[in-house]
Amino acid sequence: METFVFSSRAKATTGGLAVFGFLLLVLSYFVDGGEGHHMRFWTNLLHNTVFFTGIAALAGFAYCAFTTAYAGWFVQFKRVWESFWMFLLPGLFLMGIIMVGLFTHDNHMYHWNDDAAVAHDVILNHKQSFLNKYWYSIATVVFVGIWYFVLGRIRSISIDEDVNGTAAYGHHARIKKYAAPFLVFFGFSSAALIWQWIMSLDAHWYSTMFAWYATASLFVAMTALTIMLLIYLKSRGYYPGINAEHFHDLGKYLFAISIFWSYLWFSQYMLIWYGNIGEETIYFRERLDSYPFLFWGNLAFNFVLPFFVLMRNDTKRKAGTLFFVAAFVFFGHWFDFFQMIKPGARLTMIEMQEHEGAHGAGHEGEYAELPGHTGAVGEGEHIGGPGHQGDLHDDAHEPLVDNHNVETHPDAVESNIPIAIENQEGPGPNIADDDLATSDHEGSEHYATSPSAEFKSGYTIPGLLEIGIFLGFLGGFLFFVLSTLAKAPLEPKRDPYFEESLHHHT
Amino acid sequence: MAHAIAHSGVTQIDSAIDPTHRNILFGLYDDEVKLLDAVKAANAAHLEIDNVYTPFPVHGLDPLLGLQESRLHQAGFIFGSIGCLFGFGFMTWVFTRDWPIIFGGKPYWSVPAFIPITFELTVLFAAVGMVLVFYIVCGLGPGAEPRRLHDRITDDKFCLAFDATDLDGDSVDGLRGFFAETGAESVHNKYTA
Repeated sequence: METFVFSSRAKATTGGLAVFGFLLLVLSYFVDGGEGHHMRFWTNLLHNTVFFTGIAALAGFAYCAFTTAYAGWFVQFKRVWESFWMFLLPGLFLMGIIMVGLFTHDNHMYHWNDDAAVAHDVILNHKQSFLNKYWYSIATVVFVGIWYFVLGRIRSISIDEDVNGTAAYGHHARIKKYAAPFLVFFGFSSAALIWQWIMSLDAHWYSTMFAWYATASLFVAMTALTIMLLIYLKSRGYYPGINAEHFHDLGKYLFAISIFWSYLWFSQYMLIWYGNIGEETIYFRERLDSYPFLFWGNLAFNFVLPFFVLMRNDTKRKAGTLFFVAAFVFFGHWFDFFQMIKPGARLTMIEMQEHEGAHGAGHEGEYAELPGHTGAVGEGEHIGGPGHQGDLHDDAHEPLVDNHNVETHPDAVESNIPIAIENQEGPGPNIADDDLATSDHEGSEHYATSPSAEFKSGYTIPGLLEIGIFLGFLGGFLFFVLSTLAKAPLEPKRDPYFEESLHHHT
Repeated sequence: MAHAIAHSGVTQIDSAIDPTHRNILFGLYDDEVKLLDAVKAANAAHLEIDNVYTPFPVHGLDPLLGLQESRLHQAGFIFGSIGCLFGFGFMTWVFTRDWPIIFGGKPYWSVPAFIPITFELTVLFAAVGMVLVFYIVCGLGPGAEPRRLHDRITDDKFCLAFDATDLDGDSVDGLRGFFAETGAESVHNKYTA
């Protein structure tokens, strides 16, 4: 079989899912409407758009990295990745909806797009030269546009090779002329976009490891989706030359990048835990307190399961177990992005509701709704010594000092003595209590329950809407990929490495 | 040890014949593809292969020889688990029982800080343990007597060996014919343990 035929049944399944997901997405606009600033709709749109656009981009990254390294084993199925990355264009269109939302202020996910908040908040004010709607929109259009252009060129050279290819590596060399610079460009531009798209949801927070962490997550998801799609295509009789050796290598990538992801996850967590700086720990504090299922489930899905299942040699060589792990991990990394996006956006939403609600006056503080944090900061202001008190403009800690609302929670001051300060004051078994490491210590009860700790489907856990929209996006992505796949010969028979791919042994 | 560096023809190796030693008849090939074909031919002719020696791992050889999957990685898993538990347990004991010290205001039992060291000890125990097991299983190690059939097996020749101790003259001639047919560069025999 030379060319993939997109059967009407597959079309109906994927297309039906896409329509179903689209209807749910429209429905979600009204679920958290009004008060909720349509947050459910916007976060779901952003979440799935970034996830699938990222998968498309990472397919291009893997392809270019392998091509630049003269790898041959993957050449048989390179059309699959070429089809993946063509999704960058629909992805850019979907990001366009979010940009329109930024300009019309219908979209309130990003705290930095709230002019009133930026005016009062020194951190946001400081960051606004990067975190603003113009940077966001222009960077997205330019960077994704350049990715699409370069990768589109590679695809057309690759398809031209099917007709005019020779054993002289001419086309391969031309692809490499695009692939190698793409790697350099992608390395920087993907980080900038991840900061803009996702990290800036927690606009006060930043982590230097975040871009790698999110990109590793996308790499695993891309590998998992590739494995599942190849197993599907093989079950339909395509790709006779792909055997257990190729799946073994893809399984090794799934395993290795999962471990790499875990390494980055842990490094990010440990550096922030060790540094124990309020602006940084808040990210994990929030997730540990209010989203324990997201926080721990993320590790269980994406580290524990692939680590123990894929460690064995033969689980990577059997289609059944490999498909199972790939499906699990694919969902797991979607879940990881859920965990990155939803709590931050929800915090912004709560903050905005506070602004509009009865408590409006005197609540400029970033975490006005979080007495635990506010109290801790208030106390730190007194004990923290000179440089903090009263001086609002020369210190990195200063925006947190800017919380004036301690008085709204009279018991907050007594009950929220920060642990770090306790530690300085006296010995004893409790002094080492740390707010991140353990949850069953004396200190944890000092943190009053914040409003955001309430269980809310769609934020605390993915609700049915989220799952449905995810399946819809998956259907749409597959519909697009399979239609693109049907447009060119499935196997690049004139690629100089095609024979090597056929005789791949691990 | 007596070595026969033969570049052509058949060489008989002199050696005081020790009754406990086996008479190994082996052919050297200059290419792994020839070796693989020879092993397939030997299997087809139901010849009992004693062993195969190659300078590097040859893909596809293991299933032809009917070799079991190595259990070395199971040893690795066991040693790694021991290292993991040892590292974590030792730090837990030191920092909560034996000598509690506060570092940077962190709890005594600071799990995140233990993880890198636990990881390192897991890798160290697994790696060292696997090397030891490998050495013991293969009879290697300091002072071990190397048992090479031929020096160039570790260089550029691929060796297919038969045990000819109990074979009669006709069978040995048959094996020599087999080597000639399958393109062996040279055929030797050697008494060895």
